[in-house]
Amino acid sequence: MRRVFAQMRKELTQIVRDRLALVLALVLPLCLLMLLGSAVSLTVSGLPVVVQDLDDTPASRDFIDAFRASLTFHIVSWPSGRQPADAFLTNTARAALVIPEHFGRDMARGMNTEVQLLVDATDANTARLVQGYASQVVSNYRPAAAPVKADIRLWFNPGRDAKKFYAPGSFVMGLSMFPALLAALAMSKEGEQKTILQVYVSSISAHEFLLGKILAFALIAMAEWFLSLILLFTYFGLHFAGDPSVFIVATILYAFCVAAFGSWVGAAIPSQAAAIQVIAVGGFLLTFLLSGLIFPVENIPASLRWISGLVWSRYYIEIVRDALLRGGGWPAMWFNVVMIALIGGVFYALGWKKLRRMQLSI
Amino acid sequence: MSRLVALIKKEFGQIRRDKRLLMSLVVPPTIQLLLFGFALNATVDHLKMGVLDLDPSPQSRDLIANMTESGAFRLANTYFSEDQLGQALERGDLEAGLVIPYNFARDMERGRQPDVQILLNAMNANTAAIAQGYAARVLQSWSQVYSQQGGVHAQYRPIAANEVSRKGNVLMHPAFLFNPGLVTSWFIVTGALGVLLVLNGSIIASAALVKEREAGTVEQLLMTPAGTGEIIVAKITPVFLLLCITILFATALIKVVFGVPFRGSFVLVLVGAMLCVLSGIGIGTFIATFTKSAQQAQLMAFFVNPPLASLSGALTPVEAMPHWMQSLTVLNPIRHFGIITRSVLLKGSGFTAVWPHMFALAAFTAVLLTLSVMRFRKQLA
Repeated sequence: MRRVFAQMRKELTQIVRDRLALVLALVLPLCLLMLLGSAVSLTVSGLPVVVQDLDDTPASRDFIDAFRASLTFHIVSWPSGRQPADAFLTNTARAALVIPEHFGRDMARGMNTEVQLLVDATDANTARLVQGYASQVVSNYRPAAAPVKADIRLWFNPGRDAKKFYAPGSFVMGLSMFPALLAALAMSKEGEQKTILQVYVSSISAHEFLLGKILAFALIAMAEWFLSLILLFTYFGLHFAGDPSVFIVATILYAFCVAAFGSWVGAAIPSQAAAIQVIAVGGFLLTFLLSGLIFPVENIPASLRWISGLVWSRYYIEIVRDALLRGGGWPAMWFNVVMIALIGGVFYALGWKKLRRMQLSI
Repeated sequence: MSRLVALIKKEFGQIRRDKRLLMSLVVPPTIQLLLFGFALNATVDHLKMGVLDLDPSPQSRDLIANMTESGAFRLANTYFSEDQLGQALERGDLEAGLVIPYNFARDMERGRQPDVQILLNAMNANTAAIAQGYAARVLQSWSQVYSQQGGVHAQYRPIAANEVSRKGNVLMHPAFLFNPGLVTSWFIVTGALGVLLVLNGSIIASAALVKEREAGTVEQLLMTPAGTGEIIVAKITPVFLLLCITILFATALIKVVFGVPFRGSFVLVLVGAMLCVLSGIGIGTFIATFTKSAQQAQLMAFFVNPPLASLSGALTPVEAMPHWMQSLTVLNPIRHFGIITRSVLLKGSGFTAVWPHMFALAAFTAVLLTLSVMRFRKQLA
């Protein structure tokens, strides 16, 4: 145990003295969180819309004002002689509203009138949102008497604030990338510079060596977690939705898991440049694509979805979102905690095996 | 000129023997493009819906059937109390809940307008926004159809309503142009193409430049009569030509696997892609002038690439970003190329619509390469 702590202290001292590593560990995750947390979102606002008003009466202008009042749409001018769909070709507008002649007359007569909404569906998701928003604007313009009233309640994030969903994801991305990167760099440096030989001749065992390394980088991950959490609570306005104990336990396990992943990569690849590439795939690409960071995991085709069952960040993202938004606690999240512990254990075992084999092969 | 040709020949010879590099021109882009296209999908359908029916009646069953057969929601479970339903939502077993109140059918017949409650898990703002629209439209169309059949109070029946008191409604007909089937992957792969070209271009270019540095042969190169500009141009020419193969390969993949329509001029897209690769190479050479080893170059790419990829509008719409960030994306080559591919491939726009973005890409390349040439000699000091 004493040797484990000595190894850990050595790693931490090395990092504190290496300014680049310190920036990597503590400053960069915060920048990334700020940047991605506010940039990644699918809910558009201020979409440019052109209007072709063939009626041009007070009634049609009143109708257009309903669109103008919405935050989602932003009405831009367009010469009345040109086809509204041409505005899509030059990217001037994303939607076009066509109001037919006799709109005002039909409204005054109590007849149903039809208007057309042309949507640039290049981005299918935005097109769907535009359709939804526009039909809400229209149905609120002349509320029809319906026999049944819909009361839609949005739970857990009533403001539909996209930042509250994507910030926890970016937080997990920072936590999956940087501690693993540092651990991999430290481990592969030992192999690259052959200082690993000194380790072999010392009395430290493979377990102690690996545990020392992992503990050091897990501590850094915890420090990073703490700093990022402050940012989540202040800038992004999140708070614990329920019992935080599952979140804390999961974080400790996750810190161990990413540090073990980094150490294993570093032990398996004794070249820093190649190790960085592997971390870029494992820490960044897998998290970005297969963990439900932006799009739900359920949408991934089944032939690929099983991979995301092996992606450790996927489980942690669910835990973070649950802890900060939903508050399901242990009954909802126990399985994820178990999976993180399991994957972390596998990484540890793999790293240990690699270290032992290295010892024998040299 | 012959100097330049000789240098280019030398670089070609070097690169041809680098099997790993040649592999990395084809394999990672293919895997990445497939992964991006298949894994990133924003479709909202088959959301798990729990039902609490407090008024089991023909009307309520009809509503539940309409709601859960719409494709947007599917019936996951039925519950017998509000608490059970609420807990299931909290556990994440459900994405949505439908609560039908007591006396639902009777209130409808009496014209009392019963409230149907729909609960949505809004953690994911995008899913919630789309699901909200679905739910509202399903309920609206159901009640329209139902009010024509009878079983509701006369005041809601369109035929029975008094001629004078009747209000006209605005009926909106949305038409989706360019992508009527609302295929999400078309948006993703056209954006991901730019991400791939810039990322791979920058990584390969910086690796090619740094290799000379690491081997210590860069001094020898600088001692030759060739100018700095010539050295850099010679370095990037083979990389550029090889990446052009990647372009052809990736566009073929987009066409064959994802079925993206090629509505505009393909030449325009190719020129745009070449300019995009060049600006990626520009980023790579610029990074290389700051770094001493392959490891440092890799680390720099680690810093630069994630923000570059996610602040480009390639995978998420630019309009969803905060305003100050939207203006920053103008400095991102991936954004310009994304606009070019989407306009030309999907919409069939011509040169007049996309030339500013072409120009921007060319400008990035020029600026970055000039900066690299200026810094190239300094890095030895």
